[in-house]
Amino acid sequence: MRIVIAEDSTILRQGLVELLTFRGHEVVAAVKDADALRAAVGSHTPDVSIVDIRMPPTHTDEGLRAAIALRGELPGCAILLFSQYVETKYAAQLLADRAGGVGYLLKDRVAEVSDFLDALRRVADGETVLDPEVVSQLFSATRQTDALDGLTPREREVLGLMAEGRSNSAIAAKLFLSAGSVEKYVTSIFGKLGLPPSEGDNRRVLAVLRYLDS
Amino acid sequence: MGTSAEPGETGFVTSLDLPRPHLLRRVFGPLAARDFWAEYAWLWLSGPLTLFSLLSFLVVLVAGLWLTPVLFGFLVLAGAIRYARGLGAAHRGLARALLGVSVPAPRRPELKPGLWSWVKARVGDPAGWRTAGYLLLRLPLTVAGLFAMVSATLYGLVATTFAFFWFPLGERQLPVFDIYADHWAGALAWSASGLLVLVVLPWVTHAFAALDRLLVVGLLGERVLSERVRDLEASRATAVEDAALRLRRIERDLHDGAQAQLVALAMKLGLAKDELEDLDLPQVKALVTAAHTNAKQALTELRDLARGIHPAALDAGLDVALATLVATSGIDARVVVDLPRRPPPSLETILYFSAAELLTNAAKHGRAATSVEVTDDHEVLRLRVRDRGPGGARIVPGGGLAGVAERLRTVDGELTVTSPPGGPTEVTARVPLPR
Repeated sequence: MRIVIAEDSTILRQGLVELLTFRGHEVVAAVKDADALRAAVGSHTPDVSIVDIRMPPTHTDEGLRAAIALRGELPGCAILLFSQYVETKYAAQLLADRAGGVGYLLKDRVAEVSDFLDALRRVADGETVLDPEVVSQLFSATRQTDALDGLTPREREVLGLMAEGRSNSAIAAKLFLSAGSVEKYVTSIFGKLGLPPSEGDNRRVLAVLRYLDS
Repeated sequence: MGTSAEPGETGFVTSLDLPRPHLLRRVFGPLAARDFWAEYAWLWLSGPLTLFSLLSFLVVLVAGLWLTPVLFGFLVLAGAIRYARGLGAAHRGLARALLGVSVPAPRRPELKPGLWSWVKARVGDPAGWRTAGYLLLRLPLTVAGLFAMVSATLYGLVATTFAFFWFPLGERQLPVFDIYADHWAGALAWSASGLLVLVVLPWVTHAFAALDRLLVVGLLGERVLSERVRDLEASRATAVEDAALRLRRIERDLHDGAQAQLVALAMKLGLAKDELEDLDLPQVKALVTAAHTNAKQALTELRDLARGIHPAALDAGLDVALATLVATSGIDARVVVDLPRRPPPSLETILYFSAAELLTNAAKHGRAATSVEVTDDHEVLRLRVRDRGPGGARIVPGGGLAGVAERLRTVDGELTVTSPPGGPTEVTARVPLPR
């Protein structure tokens, strides 16, 4: 993959470059702030960008705003937002355009290198990947109303794992279920959320978005 | 005679190095002391200053009063009080230089935009009026002081030196103070009396200066309780704000420093773990896996710690922070934040941690909170946490609610608890917004 990194901490930026290069990816640009990010994405058109949320000058949500602006200019450009903390509200803003190809992960997740690279790959492929912590926040918050109330605890669990960006087989492995029963739960969730079957894989993203909207 | 002998005597005393000063030094020492000359200079200089100040102030004041039927008069009146403030400053400066009394300048009146507000603030400036009072009180003191100084100095010098004129020049009479002597003993007596006056002069000077010090401290400084309270409020607000900023900086330093380092460390250990996967090195694998787990654990703990110092979500506003708080604590509560503008960071922090404590407290007593509201209620921030628990919540010393009340008190906030048996419980925190 061709990757752009925007991270103001030198040690993390270099660490990420090393890690990705080591695993055979090409880091086309590693920048320190939002302006440089927008320039780099514009000139390199990477497969995916890794963007720290807190960057200079205010160290609050520059990365998020840059990501939203970038996706406004280049719809569907894949961005993995990276943060020391996760805020549900940020996730909702990021996913608002419903175009897929976004991820929102805690920085800690790079510790699990394979999972992290897997998530990065899925974001590059246009999927939506949310940090388990965001997902658990969504579950505990009172956002789940209406349609989501109709889900069984097991279905919620499956939906949670879907929101984390896991495939059906990964969900099956995690919950010690057969692939067939996971398929059944997923179909049931789509049904209860009113997502027509014709939309195929994109329904997974839409199902996750129901959490953020409701 | 005395004056000519003095320098020699002083040298004599110091050469003997006596533990107690020599009698002559004790008598004439004060005359040579720098304090005396400073006080002496004060009496000379402050006299004309006060006279001029009072006269000029009265002229402006009377002009202002006389012109009040015309609106312009109020402007002059305000100017007069502002002028009095300046006169106070001049006296204060002179007193600091010569009397060694440093009184803090009174706070400036709060000036709001608009001419009429300016006039009101200036005319109502207590420091200006106190200075006017100071000048009035000082007038008799000044007159008395100047009179005493001038006459004592003149008499002392003239009478002391009379004997010198009497002996060589044969002067029997001086044109001032009716000084006259037919006999050498009489001349000596005059001289002695002059010397006495000179010796006493420092004490008299000191007495006048002491009265002046009292007046300066009492009227030219910041003494009125209300002003002092206002000052304390301002300095406390600064301290609270400062502490909030500092905590924020600590959190940012943690984020940029230790947390980044740990993430990089965990990342490298994760990479090492993956690379070791296919090798037959069980001990090394176990070690790296353990180190990896430790690094991840440390990251989690550090994140919790940093969140306790300053929740990063607060940077985005109280609404985001409270929504995140409720979401992460797994409580099923509605969050409503309705503020026309963002409160100062310190108040946001205090409200956030109060809300966190109230939610924890409610959950601990089996009363899951149902709503968290923050509203602006006529310049008072109101945080209200409701639950449908069994009620009976009270503020007990050392309890969670008491802790919240304590926290709120640092910003003049208060906590009220309504919790009838059977519920529902409603805890309200009120914090005044700074004016």
